Amino acid sequence: MATFSLKVVTPDGCVFDGAAVRLVCRTITGDVAILARHSDYCTALGMGEAHIVLEDGSTRKAACIGGMLSVMNGCCHVVATTWEWADEIDAERAAASKARAEAILAQKNLDEREMELAQARLKRALVRTSVAGK
Amino acid sequence: MASMKDIKLRIKSVESTMQITKAMELVASSKLRRAKERVEHSRPYFETLYRTLYDIAAANTEFQSPYLTKREQKKVCYIVIAGDRGLAGGYNSNMFKAVAADAEGKDYCVLPIGKKAVEYYQHRGVPLVTDAFGIVGDLSVSDSFEISRMVCEKFLKGEFDAIKIGFTQFVSMLTQTATVLPVLPYDAPRPERGKARRELILYEPNSEAVFDAIIPEYLAGVVYGAMCESVASELGARRTAMDSATKNAGEMISSLNLYYNRARQAAITQEITEIVAGADGANG
Repeated sequence: MATFSLKVVTPDGCVFDGAAVRLVCRTITGDVAILARHSDYCTALGMGEAHIVLEDGSTRKAACIGGMLSVMNGCCHVVATTWEWADEIDAERAAASKARAEAILAQKNLDEREMELAQARLKRALVRTSVAGK
Repeated sequence: MASMKDIKLRIKSVESTMQITKAMELVASSKLRRAKERVEHSRPYFETLYRTLYDIAAANTEFQSPYLTKREQKKVCYIVIAGDRGLAGGYNSNMFKAVAADAEGKDYCVLPIGKKAVEYYQHRGVPLVTDAFGIVGDLSVSDSFEISRMVCEKFLKGEFDAIKIGFTQFVSMLTQTATVLPVLPYDAPRPERGKARRELILYEPNSEAVFDAIIPEYLAGVVYGAMCESVASELGARRTAMDSATKNAGEMISSLNLYYNRARQAAITQEITEIVAGADGANG
């Protein structure tokens, strides 16, 4: 299979730099897959599972939250706010964070901001648990 | 001349100060290494974001975004990043001076980051956006996103018309410069109408949506990058300040030692003179 060069950067550094056959990740409008020789492309990332198919056919899964994706001259850059490989996710912590967010949301007397924060936390926790669980 | 005991005490106190400054210098240098690594790690993220935004803004004439429109700058919000502690030479005061020079004559509010910044602006009675980010050393990526979200929201509501960030650039181990950078409205070189490059990049769903989604990320990236730079600068400044303090203490000790020896010699001479005089008196 043809490969393309893929670079995944986060504020904590570069987490992936190399050749990939396919990249699938969730954008603000839905899942997209990038293959080799994709035209120049740019979009913002949503929250969800991402996976990279490597040259040897193996797949690496990750939780990818926020940021952007661009393809320029055949090179793909993923600039993610959070990118956690599935095997590095602390499933217990994610579950605990999910439970905490749910507990907060269960309260009735929340102001708008607290509500938003808790919902965002719940979403992140759900993405993490679903990626780690597979 | 002070008595021998006084000088001895003085030397002791200078020695203990020197130990402290020496220890602080060592701590700062070891932390500095880690802080520098963090700066280097965060750079590619920020640069890619910046380049993409720049490309979008430069290639399109048609699209409008509230983040791009320049309003009359009635009120400016400064995000000021300073240190948590003093004893770092001019690090904190240089930062405040740079912001004050930039804000001269304007109506402004401040979002201070770092304990010294919070204290300084509280003391001066400058309106604060929030004082929730008191400790710069503990701030993480998610905090910078929190800051960005808060500021963007207020910017869109029109509570202020421009956002600037004041931080200390880490130029090298010995040089750190306090800088004030405008962040929003995003200042991109807009091509003239009709002269735009033909757009070859596919934006999904469209360039405006992508741009508006990325701007808060960009701001968070700027805040995070600035924070990393500032932390490194603070440590660098502290290291230099402590290094010179240690040197000064060393010099002081050697000159005090000289005094001490002189005082000792004078005392011995005096004693001998007294003994000789006494013996002379007894013999005569």
